[in-house]
Amino acid sequence: MPMKGRFPIRRTLEYLQKGEVVFKKSVNIMTVNYNTHGDLSEGARKFVFFNIPQIQYKNPWVQIMMFKNMTPSPFLRFYLDDGEQVLVDVEGKDHKEIMNHVKTILGKSDKVLEAEALAKMELSNPANFGPKRYFLRECISEVEGQVPHPGFVPLPKEMTGKYRAKLAAASDE
Amino acid sequence: MLFPFPRGYRDCELHSWQILTSCDNKLGLQNINGMSTRQASVHAKWIIGQVIGTKMKKTAKVRVTRLVLDPYLLKYYNKRKTYFAHDPLEQCTIGDVVLLKALPEKRSKHVNHELAEIVYKVGQVVDPLTGKRVAGTQYLEPLTESTEDTEVSLKEKLEQLNITASTTPPSAS
Repeated sequence: MPMKGRFPIRRTLEYLQKGEVVFKKSVNIMTVNYNTHGDLSEGARKFVFFNIPQIQYKNPWVQIMMFKNMTPSPFLRFYLDDGEQVLVDVEGKDHKEIMNHVKTILGKSDKVLEAEALAKMELSNPANFGPKRYFLRECISEVEGQVPHPGFVPLPKEMTGKYRAKLAAASDE
Repeated sequence: MLFPFPRGYRDCELHSWQILTSCDNKLGLQNINGMSTRQASVHAKWIIGQVIGTKMKKTAKVRVTRLVLDPYLLKYYNKRKTYFAHDPLEQCTIGDVVLLKALPEKRSKHVNHELAEIVYKVGQVVDPLTGKRVAGTQYLEPLTESTEDTEVSLKEKLEQLNITASTTPPSAS
């Protein structure tokens, strides 16, 4: 089942991974109240349609709930760890504006994200060899341009041990 | 085969996912093997859900929906889970949207949460932006408070104005 439906690009891993908002650790719940009709809710509807999957992908432990047609004006509500609630009025705003606003108030900043990515990279050094589960490669022979394992490709006669031993014995005599 | 952890492991060591609950200050800290922090009974500290049953004494059955990614379609769907919440004053009715807080200790076999706040009461939804009661996309209370007394009829208002035909001509200014 390939690209079916409206805007199927929303359903690609690349799109989901491009999400910008990574919430701070204190955010537990996100609630979106919006209306199905009306121009003022248009930005909120687009936000739910395009950006909520990205946010949920980047924050798998945050509970996101949507409420439709409960109040006349759309808003977002965040529930933090210490019981604090953050109310964001979204009426008339564009979905990109909402995304940027949420990123500045409750998202981790770019610097923090970079530092975390760097720390993650330091743990996995591609120069190390070992079991496939933890490292990239098991043996130097897996690298292109290096001598492959004799089990796969027989070594040329000059590199085999027995030829070299025979040469050494012949040169000794 | 020996179970890898000694029996006292769960009591004395904190797992990385355990977060301090704010009710520690109210209930007092217990010293468990020198550690002055409490373990929470569940992973989810704060939850929002809809009440689906109130037939139990002082307990509400709450349905919580979380967005879960379908691995093939790469689309988010709501996955339901029911929780039981302690509601000492029996103030919940079916259909309320409710905020639950994790209890520090299990209250009974299934009850791990307590009612923190009723977010939207059925039939009496209050718009958080204006503070007025709301039904769907309509306001039930008027937005601007009228200073005039509505019961005073138009006739009485005209009498109060005391308009009479003036005999003297208006002075030219």
